[in-house]
Amino acid sequence: MYELLLITMALPVIAGGLSLFNANPGMLRVINLSGSAATGICILGIIAKTIHGGPFTSAFLHVDDLTAVMLFVVGLLTFTATLFSLSYMEREVRDGHVAPHMLPRYYALLNLFAVSMISVLVVGNLGLMWVAVEGTTLASALLVAFYFNQAALEAAWKYVMICTVGICLALLGTILLYSAQVGAGGAERALDWATLKELAPMLDPKTVKMAFIFILIGYGTKAGLAPMHTWLPDAHSQAPSPVSGLLSGALLSCALYALIRNLVIVEGTLGPAFPQTVLLCVGVLSILIAIPFVLTQHDLKRLLAYSSVEHMGIVTLGLGIGTPLAVYAAILHIVNHAAAKSSLFYIAGSISQDYRTKDIKGIHGVATVAPLLATLFVLSVMAITGVPPFNIFLSKFMIINALFDDHHWLLGSVILLLLTGVFAGMLRYGLRMSFGQKPADVAHRERLSLSARLALGLSMVLVFIGGVYLPEAANGVLRRAAQIIMGA
Amino acid sequence: MYLLTILLLAAAVIQTRMTDLRRAIAIILVQSAFLALACAVVGIQSGHMHMYVAAVLTVVIKVGLIPYALYKVLPYLAEEREVPTKEIVKANMSTFLSLLSIIIAFTLVMPVIPSAAQHETLPASISLVLIGFVLIMTRSQAVMQIIGLITMENGLYLLGLTIANGLPLIIELGIFFDVLVAVVVLVILTYRLKLSFLTTDTSLLKKLKG
Repeated sequence: MYELLLITMALPVIAGGLSLFNANPGMLRVINLSGSAATGICILGIIAKTIHGGPFTSAFLHVDDLTAVMLFVVGLLTFTATLFSLSYMEREVRDGHVAPHMLPRYYALLNLFAVSMISVLVVGNLGLMWVAVEGTTLASALLVAFYFNQAALEAAWKYVMICTVGICLALLGTILLYSAQVGAGGAERALDWATLKELAPMLDPKTVKMAFIFILIGYGTKAGLAPMHTWLPDAHSQAPSPVSGLLSGALLSCALYALIRNLVIVEGTLGPAFPQTVLLCVGVLSILIAIPFVLTQHDLKRLLAYSSVEHMGIVTLGLGIGTPLAVYAAILHIVNHAAAKSSLFYIAGSISQDYRTKDIKGIHGVATVAPLLATLFVLSVMAITGVPPFNIFLSKFMIINALFDDHHWLLGSVILLLLTGVFAGMLRYGLRMSFGQKPADVAHRERLSLSARLALGLSMVLVFIGGVYLPEAANGVLRRAAQIIMGA
Repeated sequence: MYLLTILLLAAAVIQTRMTDLRRAIAIILVQSAFLALACAVVGIQSGHMHMYVAAVLTVVIKVGLIPYALYKVLPYLAEEREVPTKEIVKANMSTFLSLLSIIIAFTLVMPVIPSAAQHETLPASISLVLIGFVLIMTRSQAVMQIIGLITMENGLYLLGLTIANGLPLIIELGIFFDVLVAVVVLVILTYRLKLSFLTTDTSLLKKLKG
């Protein structure tokens, strides 16, 4: 297992390094395709081993069912993002948006980003986890700034500044947690997650409470929770589309994962009441804040970005309710959101390449210009807003259900109302873009490449099947992951 | 240690008066040097070998590489200052706010901490974090914001030093590495900002909205 984990982290580094010294587009394609496929297979191996062999712990690494779920998300998304990048970025070069010599750099950064996310998931030490989360910001910062135009620079500057300041607060929280650990006499194996979890009842509650607030603000900033979400729409809309998909689906999930690992310890010390109330509030606030921006949006990718804020709010809401059903649904929602949102970003990327604009008002009649793209687009918009029988309906329904089960009648009704609003708003934009008269001058249309179809197809399979059928093995992993969050 | 704490705070407050970037970088260098000394002092007091390693790393990265990277970008920012009429207002504002944050940190934190060995250093480190935050909030110059970030990080480092005799070495190594890469990334962005906006005044970055 140990070797497998090291190989999984080494593979993207190797692929990235090789990409950096290869200017030939054909070679780049081969290197990155095989690199991300191999990483994906290794990740599947880790997941299989975790299911059959149980959790794995070493000095600095820790892999259990919760890790397995998140690894699946990151593995799937890096694979689809790489697949989609192949044709997308080559077209950006052809269209003159990206200089050819920048392409190797793009792949090197993409691989670096993948490694940093994988390392967030597999480290079992909260201090190192902090280092890895900050690493994801730095690896993705130059990807956000990749076009190096004014808008991209503005987005990247805000992204690095806000997230680094936020993450500094998470470090403050982590240091406090460490001092609580030292205070409880457990200076051995400092900040080790499993050790801290056992020590949790002995930690000083006052210190842990302070630590939790800082950690929530810190990782919450990174996860795009309101009111610290301001960097998110900028960064998501300015990055190249495959990267936007990764940021939204995988990076936000990784930040939530870091928050969840800390949460388990905090709940062990303080009991569930205080942290859950705070999470509930933050979750509702995130949903609330995202909605006006979704309803009155002018930019396609910003629309999707605000929808990410909303969905992270829903996951946090699920964690805040804290019943077994809600927590289970929250993890399922992370997976579902990642699959649906990343494919939406890829589709949005293709559409804006065809139309040369991200402005919603400038996009009409996708159905006549690119029928396949329009079909997938409408279906994904329906999926992301929670229409049955798609996967997101299932997890959203469970979270709302848990909300009513837990006697939050008023809150449940309000959330339902808000989600209906998002549904109406997003579908209105989605349909208006897909149908109607196509503009006279769409001459840039290109067929979707095979790799792009494969990438979209993979996510779509999950979106469709996930709504009606959940394999027993997957259900088991999710169940055990939920138990880990509940502190079992 | 008391002396070092006072010097660290003084350096941070003087930092808020700076409008000239060259001097501002010199001061963050001095501040980091004090931090390295504090680290060494804790090493002597506690006898932990790894504190000396951390002190050396602080010198190499925060006194050496980071100011070097910042000085590297300066020639491209020739004549770059904050808007002259506003800059003194901003400096006054940030000084006032940072003095306020020192008061807040001491009045709020002093009563809750148990009588630890470094009784004054703990609120001082919180003040440093707050001053860094104030610098980022009130100053719009890109390099000043980077300096604010480093000040914040220095404060956190001091905090770790006082309440837990420093974090384990491997985590500290990671943090040092992250800080270094963060500054490099920000310097690259600053350089690019200058190229495309012809200024590094980040208050002009307000096109992305809604």
